[in-house]
Amino acid sequence: MAYSEKVIDHYENPRNVGSMDKSDPQVATGMVGAPACGDVMKLQLKISDSGIIEDAKFKTYGCGSAIASSSLVTEWVKGKSVDEAAEIKNTAIAEELALPPVKIHCSILAEDAIKAALEDYRSKHGE
Amino acid sequence: MNYFQLFGLDSGFEVDTLKLSELYQALQKSVHPDRFAHASTQEQAMAVQKSAMINDAYQILKNPLQRAEYLLKIRGTEMPSEQSSFRDTGFLMQQMELRELIAEVKFSDDPESAYSDAEQTLNSQYQQLFDQLKQQLAQDNSESDTLACDNLRKLKFYQKLHLELDRLEEQIFED
Repeated sequence: MAYSEKVIDHYENPRNVGSMDKSDPQVATGMVGAPACGDVMKLQLKISDSGIIEDAKFKTYGCGSAIASSSLVTEWVKGKSVDEAAEIKNTAIAEELALPPVKIHCSILAEDAIKAALEDYRSKHGE
Repeated sequence: MNYFQLFGLDSGFEVDTLKLSELYQALQKSVHPDRFAHASTQEQAMAVQKSAMINDAYQILKNPLQRAEYLLKIRGTEMPSEQSSFRDTGFLMQQMELRELIAEVKFSDDPESAYSDAEQTLNSQYQQLFDQLKQQLAQDNSESDTLACDNLRKLKFYQKLHLELDRLEEQIFED
């Protein structure tokens, strides 16, 4: 299957790969997986007291589209407020990366990773 | 008629695979085109259709994870869509650690023994989940079926890990 240029770019030069300390109260962690293809995705967000995402890191085991989707998401969320990040939709990710229909689930996984991280953020802050 | 009934088996997870393969041969023989050489076109077409169904049934029943999924389906517990993501953080953390373990094997001082350690870890975790699945499916109630469904989704992650391990084995032992 042919990957788009953007997918290849993110796959070969992934942005923001890495980990943060998940016990840090400012760090929110989202873990999601796809049983069908065995992909595992971890997205971590460093969120300021005013609710702005200052930094984002990811680690993904999966296909090129899954890696590209999570890499793209880390770029997109940086500088956004928590509420703005919650608005990111998988369709926008799929469109930006020109994902074929069989790879749409990779973009869904990335959207779910944001949601999972934001849930972790809210539970850490007692909301 | 469901696939278990087609093979004259009780609808359950435990299946004697040797018996299954014997039943498969016998069933296929009963619909073999040679037996319908002088039959009507309609009867011939039905035999071909039946043969395809027997084949589909056999492919599902002989594979434990597919058999479990099929059993849950006929009991009315549908698996969540393939598109829906899995959110058990503890389990996914463990998956990530296993992925890291597999990734590090190549760089170990003794890749061959690191490989067999990784294989053992993977197999024992798989077996534990598989045994739980067996018990849950044997209980045959909606509560245990829901748990079985969750377990089955976890086991699917291990299928992928086994593929990764196979790929690694080729790399390590090729020369």
